[in-house]
Amino acid sequence: MDWVFLSELAINGVLTGLLYSLFAIGLVLIYKASSVPNLAQGGLTMVGAYVVLALSHDAGLPLWLAIPLAALIMFGLGFGIERVALRRLAGRPVVMILMLTLGLDIFLRGTTLAIWGGTSRSMELGVSYDPLFLGDIFISRIHLVGAGVALALFVAFMLFFRTRTGIKLRAIADDYMASWSVGISVERGVGLSWALASVVAVAAGVIWGEIQGVDQALSLLLLKGLTVAVLGGLDSILGAVIAGIILGVVENVGADFLDPLVGGGSRELIVAAVLILTVMIRPHGLFGRHDIERV
Amino acid sequence: MQEKVEAQNILSMNSIEVLYDNVLLAIKGVSVQVPKGEMIALLGSNGAGKSTTLKAISGLLKAERGRISRGEIKFEGTDITEMLAQKRVEMGICHVIEGRRVFEHLTPDENLTAAAPMGMSKATLNAEKEKIYSFFPRLAERKNSQAGYLSGGEQQMLAIGRALVTQPSLLMLDEPSLGLAPFLVEEIFGIIKQINQEQGLSVLLVEQNALAALEIVSEGYLIENGRVVMHGAADALKANSDIQEFYLGGGEGTNFHEVKHYSRRKRWLS
Amino acid sequence: MFYRLSGVHHANYVSDSRIFKVPADRNLAAFMFLIGIAAPFIIPSLYLNSYMLPWLIWTSAALGLNLVTGWAGQLHLGYAAVMAVGAYSSIHAARFGVPWEFALLVGGLTSSVIGSLFAFAALRVKGLYLALTTLAMQFAMDWVLTHSPAISGGSHASLQSPTLALLGQEITTDTGFYYVAFGWCVLVTIFMLNLKRTGLGRALVAVREKDFAAAILGVNSFYYKILAFATSSFIAGVSGALLVATFFFLAAPEQFSVAVSIQVLAMVIVGGLGSIIGSYLGVALILLVPGIVNGFVVSLSDWLGMQINVETLAHIPNAVYGALIVIILLIEPLGLGKLYGNIRDYLMVWPFDQFKK
Repeated sequence: MDWVFLSELAINGVLTGLLYSLFAIGLVLIYKASSVPNLAQGGLTMVGAYVVLALSHDAGLPLWLAIPLAALIMFGLGFGIERVALRRLAGRPVVMILMLTLGLDIFLRGTTLAIWGGTSRSMELGVSYDPLFLGDIFISRIHLVGAGVALALFVAFMLFFRTRTGIKLRAIADDYMASWSVGISVERGVGLSWALASVVAVAAGVIWGEIQGVDQALSLLLLKGLTVAVLGGLDSILGAVIAGIILGVVENVGADFLDPLVGGGSRELIVAAVLILTVMIRPHGLFGRHDIERV
Repeated sequence: MQEKVEAQNILSMNSIEVLYDNVLLAIKGVSVQVPKGEMIALLGSNGAGKSTTLKAISGLLKAERGRISRGEIKFEGTDITEMLAQKRVEMGICHVIEGRRVFEHLTPDENLTAAAPMGMSKATLNAEKEKIYSFFPRLAERKNSQAGYLSGGEQQMLAIGRALVTQPSLLMLDEPSLGLAPFLVEEIFGIIKQINQEQGLSVLLVEQNALAALEIVSEGYLIENGRVVMHGAADALKANSDIQEFYLGGGEGTNFHEVKHYSRRKRWLS
Repeated sequence: MFYRLSGVHHANYVSDSRIFKVPADRNLAAFMFLIGIAAPFIIPSLYLNSYMLPWLIWTSAALGLNLVTGWAGQLHLGYAAVMAVGAYSSIHAARFGVPWEFALLVGGLTSSVIGSLFAFAALRVKGLYLALTTLAMQFAMDWVLTHSPAISGGSHASLQSPTLALLGQEITTDTGFYYVAFGWCVLVTIFMLNLKRTGLGRALVAVREKDFAAAILGVNSFYYKILAFATSSFIAGVSGALLVATFFFLAAPEQFSVAVSIQVLAMVIVGGLGSIIGSYLGVALILLVPGIVNGFVVSLSDWLGMQINVETLAHIPNAVYGALIVIILLIEPLGLGKLYGNIRDYLMVWPFDQFKK
């Protein structure tokens, strides 16, 4: 057993896993405030990356300006999506809401590609491609940056959910009717969660766009993001971070063992297996809330 | 003369009709007046339309696909019939909905914070919380545990406390006694009465437990099948033989074999 | 108007359990059936082959999914994988020399067996979690398909379908393919129309509404959920096999990817859960409208003398497809079937309903 190699796999797994968390935090935000599973998060991430590109490469703005501006635009888009689409289906069966978000995903992807074309573009963040060395271990710089962003967002949202607005969002997730009865604007709260999730999508889009190029493949992160979110418990941000790390490590180390056996490409299989096992064994995930049942 | 009466009533509701799903007529022309600083009770059996009446006032009908199809509701002289629920809370109407719906995954303290208006300063919020904890000392003891695990009585206190944070001038309580032990009902009603007297808060109370309710209110309305069938001072209602028989449990030892029970019950409904 | 009824009145149980409660519905169905039979003689072969045929096969497939999602209320995001199982096993059987009649049956039964695996997920979870599990199962099956050359047909990952032959007759013409698809679609439709009149259909609806309440009434929800998945998978398998045998002629894993699962679910939901005519309408909308809109955009740009980017054109159908799902759900969450019902109910009492107001 080569321990250096194994720890390199593990450390890179942790970093990649945190990048999955970065994506999954967006899913968790919306679920936490409205119990809506947002299957359009992949599409939103793609839109986020393309908007940054449009502002920086096409309009010539510097990145430090383009990214916040894109975040602002996406914030508005998130609010808009809730206002136009989600609000009208509030309280409908989950099938319809799932389908609505799937439709949104297809629409966002189609529109983005119709506007900007399907060829892969690069983000050019200016992070060096030279690997860092930690002893004998290779670490990619961009992964490190992305993991840092994920952790920063995690801390920011943990703090946010302790503020008055954050508490109101959690209250909305608990009980729509009771929230209305004490004057909480449920609609605005859910809209805010969509807006924040869209901002997270910009962060995920920029980092993942730098790693794998900006193209349609960004929306395929959805399966991994969903797996992380479900494993962590759909409404737990802490869960998303920890589950991301777990999935990253399991996937990296597992693929190393499995790939030679099955001839490569076992990553998707591992992710799918983790998702199925989680739902079968512990549907509320590691840190998700059980619904409190009192007689 | 009419104007003067209006001014004394914090809430006046005139011949309100409510439709659910555009088909089901839940209340059929209910009129209720709440004088400023008074406690009023709405009595009646299951499905009579009491909760619907409260929801019409608080604007929560929309969430249940209901709407007001006729009549008007005035709160402190302003027409609120079409107003959003959130606006009504800002104006000072707060509705404690049926079934102790606290935010289960939040702590009691966070439950109170969640209900605070966005514009309320931190100092005011803390003062409000202190006041609520002084009304309900049990809540103060458990303010950092999870609200879903509080006992039924504590949850009801929390629901009332949460409503008080919005600084209402009209508090509407939907069956606060539901599923609670009699001594707790007494405690909670005592506190409501105390708040009513100390703060001049007007209260509209919906109850099935007519006996307990009539002890603390000044006036009562009896609702049956979506209509007000009786209205009067609490003492008068308590003395009424029908009320005694059907809502207060028997009265002066009526012999049921000799009374034509059903024909009497029907008398209100025609 | 055409309906000539002032509401639906049933005086006895027999009339209430008729397939078509409104005579006009029956007439409409008969009319559509006649059109379906006459289609090869009316519709140019190009349209017959590229629009009518896929429409009918996808409708059969969508009806199968409607059985499990609309009737039994179980979300299913892995339907395309089940179709793939049927397609591949039929074609392998046919290549092995099994007559097509039996090869289709083999495909259907294999799908039933594999599809019932999804039912075991449904026994443990429902709603969102079931959707996610079936989605993951779809990914897993996709993976198996693409990574086993023995199934997917070697390095090119495509499998030639042998010539379709039914009842000793080789089918090679467009008209022939069309009638095969039409026959299958009619069979599935008749089955689905009768389903709601049977105990099975009622049990499925009971399980959908509240599975434990159904259990209290003596409906074995375990058994019926598996039965629902098995039946719907059978339909999926045969539809998948026919899709390859009469339309693609070449089976490839991409034909049964996640996107296809989502597409069939979209057809069912846009059409309306539990609605048969809805499935027809939903499939037509999802399958045909994006192409029509694209054609419209092309001719509009030609007319305006504008040059539209090829890539833009390539992605407009997708954007339209997504937008259609969203718009229909926002207009009528119960789908096109419900819209049809609304219009029918309106016309049924027209013009006398004016007096209500």
